[in-house]
Amino acid sequence: MYFAGMDIGSSMTKVVIINDAHEILIRKATPTGARHSLLARKVFDDALSIINLSPDSISYVLATGYGRVNVPFAHRHMSEITCQAAGVHALFPKAKTIIDIGGQDAKGVKLGDGRVIDFIMNDKCAAGTGRFLEVLSDSLDIPLADFGHLSLQAKTAVEINNFCTVFARDELTACISRGRHIHDIIAGVHDAITMRVVNMVNRLKIEPEVVFTAGLATNTGMVRSIENHIGFPVSIPDHPFTTVALGAAILARKIWLKEKGKGNS
Amino acid sequence: MLDTLHGMSRVSQVLADRSARIRELKAQGKKAVGYFCSYVPVEILTAMDLVPVRILGDMDEPVTEMDTVLPTSFCPFLRNCINTVFRGRYDFLDGVVGAHSCDAQEKSIHVWKSKIKYEFYHYLDMPATLHPWGADMYRSSLEKFKSSCEAWTGKPLSGEALEASILAHNRHRSLVRELYELKRFDPPLVSGSDTLRILTAISGLPVDEGSALLEAVIQEARAGKIQADTQDKKRILVVGACLDALPLIRLIEDFDADVVMDDNCMGARTYFRDVSITKDPMQGLASRYLDLTCARTFRETVAGEFRKDHAADLETRFAHLGNYIEKWRVEGVVIQLVRFCDPFGYEVPELKDYLNSINIPNLYLETEYTTGSLAPLKTRLQTFLETLL
Amino acid sequence: MPTDTIKIKRLKAMYRLRAKVDDMYTSGLEAMKDGRPVAWSMVTWWHADPVFKAMDLEVVYPENYAAMVAASGKASRYLDLCDADGFPTHLCGYSRINLGYVSRMVNGCAGGIPPEAPMGGLPKPVMMLSHSMLCDARVKWFQSLGRYMDTPVWMMETALPGVEEWNDPDVRKWSLKLVMDEIEQFIAYLERMLGRKLNRDRYDEMLSDMITLSRLAYKTFELRKATPCPMHSRDFWSVMPPYLYMSGDLKDSIDCYQALYDEVEQRVASRIGAVEPEKYRLLFAELPPWHSLEFFDRLAERGWNFVKESWAYNPPRPLEGLEDISDPVERHARFHLHVATGYHADALADDEYMGYLGYPYVKFAKDYACDGAFFHGLMTCRSASTHHPYTRELLMRKLKIPSFQVEGDLVDLRLFNAEEALRRAEVFEESMDYYRELRQQEHFPADNMQPA
Repeated sequence: MYFAGMDIGSSMTKVVIINDAHEILIRKATPTGARHSLLARKVFDDALSIINLSPDSISYVLATGYGRVNVPFAHRHMSEITCQAAGVHALFPKAKTIIDIGGQDAKGVKLGDGRVIDFIMNDKCAAGTGRFLEVLSDSLDIPLADFGHLSLQAKTAVEINNFCTVFARDELTACISRGRHIHDIIAGVHDAITMRVVNMVNRLKIEPEVVFTAGLATNTGMVRSIENHIGFPVSIPDHPFTTVALGAAILARKIWLKEKGKGNS
Repeated sequence: MLDTLHGMSRVSQVLADRSARIRELKAQGKKAVGYFCSYVPVEILTAMDLVPVRILGDMDEPVTEMDTVLPTSFCPFLRNCINTVFRGRYDFLDGVVGAHSCDAQEKSIHVWKSKIKYEFYHYLDMPATLHPWGADMYRSSLEKFKSSCEAWTGKPLSGEALEASILAHNRHRSLVRELYELKRFDPPLVSGSDTLRILTAISGLPVDEGSALLEAVIQEARAGKIQADTQDKKRILVVGACLDALPLIRLIEDFDADVVMDDNCMGARTYFRDVSITKDPMQGLASRYLDLTCARTFRETVAGEFRKDHAADLETRFAHLGNYIEKWRVEGVVIQLVRFCDPFGYEVPELKDYLNSINIPNLYLETEYTTGSLAPLKTRLQTFLETLL
Repeated sequence: MPTDTIKIKRLKAMYRLRAKVDDMYTSGLEAMKDGRPVAWSMVTWWHADPVFKAMDLEVVYPENYAAMVAASGKASRYLDLCDADGFPTHLCGYSRINLGYVSRMVNGCAGGIPPEAPMGGLPKPVMMLSHSMLCDARVKWFQSLGRYMDTPVWMMETALPGVEEWNDPDVRKWSLKLVMDEIEQFIAYLERMLGRKLNRDRYDEMLSDMITLSRLAYKTFELRKATPCPMHSRDFWSVMPPYLYMSGDLKDSIDCYQALYDEVEQRVASRIGAVEPEKYRLLFAELPPWHSLEFFDRLAERGWNFVKESWAYNPPRPLEGLEDISDPVERHARFHLHVATGYHADALADDEYMGYLGYPYVKFAKDYACDGAFFHGLMTCRSASTHHPYTRELLMRKLKIPSFQVEGDLVDLRLFNAEEALRRAEVFEESMDYYRELRQQEHFPADNMQPA
């Protein structure tokens, strides 16, 4: 018996397939195109062919993420927050808080026994998401991939007062013309996101163990900035992009077993 | 033609064009009066043989007429309502009544009066507290409303006519409550979206026609004819200001949940409290209208206390919700706030305190009263409903 | 920087009055140290202030304090706390600062004043007074502090009749009665709470001083109709607290205002403008960006003089016959009621029903010979923003006066972009020039003409 979790994000489509013993057979990420439903099928089929399984051998497919309703072959869909909680719980059983910063949104999740007990999200304001870094990477003309290690070399991070992305860009230009070092500026940009996200997640009261997930968790500068602000270390999954799809696969198994149990009784 | 359709078919017919029936009544010489808040005493309008019509918003109607009227930082619900008026949807109105229930209402009626000329305007100033001396002022304000209707129509209003109207509206309200009783079943005999469709239909009909329609609908519901699909759905209470748009309910019902109860102006807030029959009908009206459950009222446990007992305060302000939660076997509460709403906005943390104190899961959602603004709320709602599993 | 840039000529008499806002906080803090009670109050437009004064209960105004916190650049900590406690972010910025402040005071400082609080902080109150005039936030805000403090809230009602309704003697009668009842009941509540009676003679004296001060302030500001205008809005905002909040000693304020009047009158006689040369005269609505007041200096460099502000912060039009009313409560009530209704009769004659949110701006723009109006849209202040689109259209339609809108907020520095606003101001000058010419060509209206 095999179970698949598909996370259709706005930029990447991720698939994770597990077996009955919760072992991960494959995890795969592919850029999301405009036509979710066609791509989802292709990503799914490609993954199956790599591990030599037929679509029939998958007992249950659970879709999640922004494009979750556009996966016609999925048995059901659930929210990415529920799936994220299940995925993180499987990897870090003691986790109590998740800080999730992606390209389009940021979320905080409070866990109890691996389930969501409270959550909060920002999907309105770009300043508290990875989008902020992308915009500033463009205007500073420094590749996003270099942001992390550059910021670690900062002596004193600049303080950014404008949280609106457009105004912040002006403010950074002013910092550069005042001769502030690029390391300090990038560190300041990271701190600005951290402030915004940590303040938001603090509504749920951040408690250890904290797991930091999604795209920005791969940025070492962001990790350090968050640890500095909350005052203790955070755990990072080995594959921070696919924890949601993993959670979806785990929930697929759980729901399948539950429904099977109902059917038998 | 009108007599051929009953129950839910008639509801659909009314919703297809709310103005159709009003135009017929106008052809018979009746006059229609628009209002957009539960604080307008419709009993007085009915007693004067005027047809009260509740002005509703339309989330799919583009907001095009507000550039020189109201800014985007204004209550998006009322801005939308006024926009639909300015776009001509209510061009059959002969008069308009507004109440100072909240500042947005007060501004709306004044700006309306400045921009569109009708035969009749009335603005009801009203107190924000339940102070007895404020209630006196409100009673005078109602008397003035009555005399201004009399002056407009040229007809005096007798005590008997007013009492008959109050009785008709009480009966109407008791029928809505009967409909809500059917939602206590599991699964409910009427879904949240059908409830809203019914309530929307009756909000633009004369009271007795609305009551007849309610009776027919209740009969159909009891016979299981309008039941939603019966799979295991989460039972949700929605709390907010005015929930008049189906997309807001469908947002919840799309995720295996049903809105079984509400505390908002289209529903329970308007229909769960009757006017007491007193010797002086005006007194009964004043007491009833000042004490609706809207956040606009400054409600206190003990007026003039020297120390505030927070638990008692929450009980005074929110206990009716605890009652709904118990009776309607509610599993989760969605607090639906229209952005820029101050009266309800300040309540949110304390409302959550209250709901947490009785251990009922709750979710706070902010809408901007546009269909587009609902999409981002889906993840929040779905996650919340999944936590209830 | 060139040495000949135009600067706003501040009035000397302003400084003493400006310092009086500090008196309010200092006496509040002294009271706390002496163990005397302190109350928090919303701005009540003189409905409650004389009672507080006469009862010797120290009052601080969290709305004003929040503006100070914002101006000192310390708002973000409190705003973040307010957000973290789950209050919606669109609520009034002043209230969000106060909610965050109380959250910090109670949860972070054991009920004491937070050490970083500007101006020595706001002491914990024995009671809070809400008021229903002009804004729903002011009805609900103190109530929502119940989750932090057991401080009682007294809610004071006012009447808010519409333009046409005010013409009706019955409406006037019950509105007055409500406002009077509220004064009496508030007095009774304070007497019960403080265990002492109101000294009615002292109350009467307070009222007389309040009315004298208000009239003097009104008379002073009327002098700003002169060309060039002798007093800039920045001075207006500096001298506002002594009559709006009745901060400090009233008799001293009357003296200070007399000095201000004399100085402004002197300037009129000598044809001295606050900004010279005065190229443009502007009307300002509503509250300024307190954290960026230097913005007005930059505009003054371009010859912009700000000559009038909203009715809501100005003293009411003097009400005739007020002195003849022997009952102090009635005199007090009529004074307060006149604030929001004082322009209603004229508005009715003008077929204008937005009342205090429409007509007074037209009157001011005309009487003060304005070339343009500056509307500062406040994202989180409904009362100071709701009328902007409407009133701007009104100014154009009735007077052919163009207006200029800049988005900002009461306290959130992030929303007001001074650089961008200055760029737009430059373009707006062309608009003011164009309409000035147009008004001259069309003789529209004659008494609004600018001297060449």
